[in-house]
Amino acid sequence: MSVLHRIIAFCRNLFQKSDVERELSEELAHAFDALIEKKVQEGMSAAEARRLAAIELGGVEQLKEKIREVRSGYYMESLLRDVRYAGRVLLKNPGFTVMAAATLALAIGANTAVFSAFNSLLLRPLPFPSANQLVRIYSTKNGAPIQGTGNPGGPSAMDVRDFSQRNHTFQKIIAYDTWRKNVSFGSAGGTPEQMRVGLVPGAYFEVLGLRPIIGRLFTEDENLFGRHYVAAIDVRIWRERYAGSNAVLGQKIFINDEPYTIVGVMPQAIPEWMEPGRPGPVEIWTPFASATAWSENSRGARGDAALGRLKPGTSVAQAQGDLSTIAAALAATHPIDQGIGVALTKLVDTRVGTLGPMLLLLAGAVSLILLIACLNLANLLLARNATRERELAMRAALGAARSCLVRQLLVEAALVSVVGALVGLALAQIVVSIFRGIYLNNLPQLVSIDLDWRVVVFSLALSLATTFFFGLFPALKAARQDPMDVLKKGGHGGSSTYSSQRLRDMLVVTEMAMALMLILVAGLFIQSVARLERQSLGIRQEHLIKAHFYMPPVRYPDSTAITHFCDEFARRIRALPGVTDATITTLYPPINGWSQMLGIPDHDPVTRIDDVPSAEFGVSDVHLLRTLGISLLRGRDFAESDTPNTQPVALINRAFSQKYFPNSDPMGQHIHIGPPSFLQIGAAAATADNADVTIVGVVADFRNRGLVLPPQPQIIGLYSQHPIVNFGFKDVVVRTALDARALSQEVADQLHALDPDIPLAEVQTFDEVIEHQIGDRRFTTVLLSAFAITGLVLALVGVYGVLSNVVSQRKQELAVRIALGATRVDAVGLVVKRAIVAAAIGMMLGVAAAWGAQRLIQGFLFQISAVDPITFCGASVLLLLVALLGSALPAMRATRIDPAQLLRQE
Amino acid sequence: MSIRRYKSTELLQGTLDLLILKALVHGELHGLAVAHRVEQLTNGAFEVKPGSLFPALHSMEEAGWLASSWGESENRRKAKFYRLTKAGLRQLKTEANDWRKVSGAITAALRAT
Repeated sequence: MSVLHRIIAFCRNLFQKSDVERELSEELAHAFDALIEKKVQEGMSAAEARRLAAIELGGVEQLKEKIREVRSGYYMESLLRDVRYAGRVLLKNPGFTVMAAATLALAIGANTAVFSAFNSLLLRPLPFPSANQLVRIYSTKNGAPIQGTGNPGGPSAMDVRDFSQRNHTFQKIIAYDTWRKNVSFGSAGGTPEQMRVGLVPGAYFEVLGLRPIIGRLFTEDENLFGRHYVAAIDVRIWRERYAGSNAVLGQKIFINDEPYTIVGVMPQAIPEWMEPGRPGPVEIWTPFASATAWSENSRGARGDAALGRLKPGTSVAQAQGDLSTIAAALAATHPIDQGIGVALTKLVDTRVGTLGPMLLLLAGAVSLILLIACLNLANLLLARNATRERELAMRAALGAARSCLVRQLLVEAALVSVVGALVGLALAQIVVSIFRGIYLNNLPQLVSIDLDWRVVVFSLALSLATTFFFGLFPALKAARQDPMDVLKKGGHGGSSTYSSQRLRDMLVVTEMAMALMLILVAGLFIQSVARLERQSLGIRQEHLIKAHFYMPPVRYPDSTAITHFCDEFARRIRALPGVTDATITTLYPPINGWSQMLGIPDHDPVTRIDDVPSAEFGVSDVHLLRTLGISLLRGRDFAESDTPNTQPVALINRAFSQKYFPNSDPMGQHIHIGPPSFLQIGAAAATADNADVTIVGVVADFRNRGLVLPPQPQIIGLYSQHPIVNFGFKDVVVRTALDARALSQEVADQLHALDPDIPLAEVQTFDEVIEHQIGDRRFTTVLLSAFAITGLVLALVGVYGVLSNVVSQRKQELAVRIALGATRVDAVGLVVKRAIVAAAIGMMLGVAAAWGAQRLIQGFLFQISAVDPITFCGASVLLLLVALLGSALPAMRATRIDPAQLLRQE
Repeated sequence: MSIRRYKSTELLQGTLDLLILKALVHGELHGLAVAHRVEQLTNGAFEVKPGSLFPALHSMEEAGWLASSWGESENRRKAKFYRLTKAGLRQLKTEANDWRKVSGAITAALRAT
């Protein structure tokens, strides 16, 4: 009852304020009259009665204020009044308001964008129940992580099975993988397309805590080869291909031309960064079954992904100890497991992936921006309080409590910061939507970045903290002053002391130093990326396009079938108008990705695995060199006369020749493709190529280990002469006379003419191939550049703010000087000199700081020193220009001073 | 025996509310009449100044103990009249009880030897 009354009163006080006030006035007016009347009746004169009544009431206005104070919502009302007042003050001073809010918005926007990345990649929980129990299991060899599609790779399926059976710390451990496969949806229509298919046991979903939306998980039995023709699909495919119908269960889809029965629909919960063997999301799963995986021969087949769910209350360290003990036991039992260990990482910690250092760098950059913004705000507030001293002193003299003044100033600061934070959030939203728009195959995590409540809280808190910290100090300083002193000084509004001017100069110098650091880092990154882009692949990469295709074993069971298909496909493409040449190959720059152990004659005999000679190995048809534009240095190219029935031949690159034949002629030498006999164990022996090839030519080096590493030794064979490794996975590379991209449809048509069920996938020009390689660096560079520009703009605002304040405060002095004969050039010089001095000192500090931080930055750079003198000079000149730009307007104002008019005002 | 006259400012917190509630038991009164009534009820011991009276009336009205309406005063002037609500009557009973307990306890304490 009482609460209800209060709420009604509260609302009435707030929203019907004029009624409430009118009633109050009337009531008191009548009471006043009644008092007078009573006193007159008691025999006083009218004037005396009036005087005494006024005394008794204690002043009508004061009484009203007392009554207002007991009203509900009084505090709210006074706060609203402060806000209204603050709004008026800020609107009256649009220059200050816009600069302060824009400064904040830029800083908050940049920080919020980077924080949202932090939030999405480091803070936000994974979309699985009890996700902190999920652990990735990696394999190590002699303590170093091994490579694999799991990246780094996990233990073999056999090892995982033993871990799973013998451990005491896990609820479940599973191994899984993904493969690119040709998928068609049978009755659900559509042409076959290449998709990434997850090979997972049913327990994979149990480990993640995911239940099928409809249908079931794979059974243990279905993990056995031959019983594995069942599939689960993702909810997106379910909706798009099967209209979300329950009838999907039991339908057939065709994977590599073999029918699989759909048994379940899974929720879309597994983010792409979790998938081994990127790029591309996984939307179809089949059981983890292969003809060879579950045999002792495959114990050495490491590199798949492995995932486990810990028992509740078990730490990663305990689990690590547990599995390490089992790994040691396995190493003692199985020779292939010697030197093999395990390393556990929480799944959530693998999310940030290679982005970790980059995020830290970006966080450093936005922190600099925030600091610059803080300095700007401090500067602006100091300047403004100097001009408001008289107003504040006057209010203090008229009886405003000190706390009221401080509150007023803080409310103003809060208003600015809320506006700044909101605009900043909008900016961040734009940046984040750009993040999400760019899909980088080496940064699939970007897709998950968005703004949530944490980000909003972060930016509001950051903004408020910034303004309060830098608003409170000037507010306290202003409130502490003795009003008499300020008022006595009289004068012209601006009376900031020498020391506060000095402080503000220092703030600008610091801003300059930090802006310089931002420009420096951005400049170094831009040059790194430019150098990477200019990086020669070692081939002629213009007018070149590549695509991937897969010939399923069902219809292409052996090397003869594959060779026949590939040769025919290439022949048809070469016949197309506009095509200069074409090749079918497993290798193309800049990544070969197939490291092969070799036997080389006259090479020291080896007994340890680390000493075995190895090189990048790939197979192609005879058109490789001509199509890619790799020059032949010595000997001959592959020829049509090299057939499956003649002696296998090979080409090596210069790096191979220099490494393995430093003092002898490689031509005509025989190389054994395959590990030495002491390493040939079990299944590995069956799938090793073990061909002897004759070197017939030496070719120029080309990039085969990415753009950053120098070319590694490379050996190239003909797929027709290597039946054991002539797999169905091939790439086609086409050189054209015209625009390469325009040809992709005709290449696809030729493929479909030969086999309508093989999709042409991953069509890319070589410029795009390079773009994929450096996309993450370019992304970082663009961000850093944007941040550097932001920093520069803020520094510009800072310089401008200080100098225009200097000019307005020294107007009189300048006027006197001009009146006494100083030229206008002197006046300009005074302003500009100040800007240049600030920039110069800032530059020196910034260069010193960048020098100190060079070790932090060098790791991100390519072929450029972190203290590159040209970059340092360029950045310094840029900063100087900004300082001059910032001083231009104030300098112009200084020249427009009319001494006669100004001195007359005195 | 002369009684010391208490200024309303010296009234114990809450006592003013109690006295105002009591003053309105027999019907509605306008502001100054409430002060007059309190003075009468306490034999002139409590003199309620407008500076305390009006804020108290307004806050009690917001609490829902009093209701107000505009009417004509004894000398035919327009005035705001306050009356007790049901909630106000309940509040009076509660506060009166509390007061009796407190004053009884204090009296007992003072009597003790």
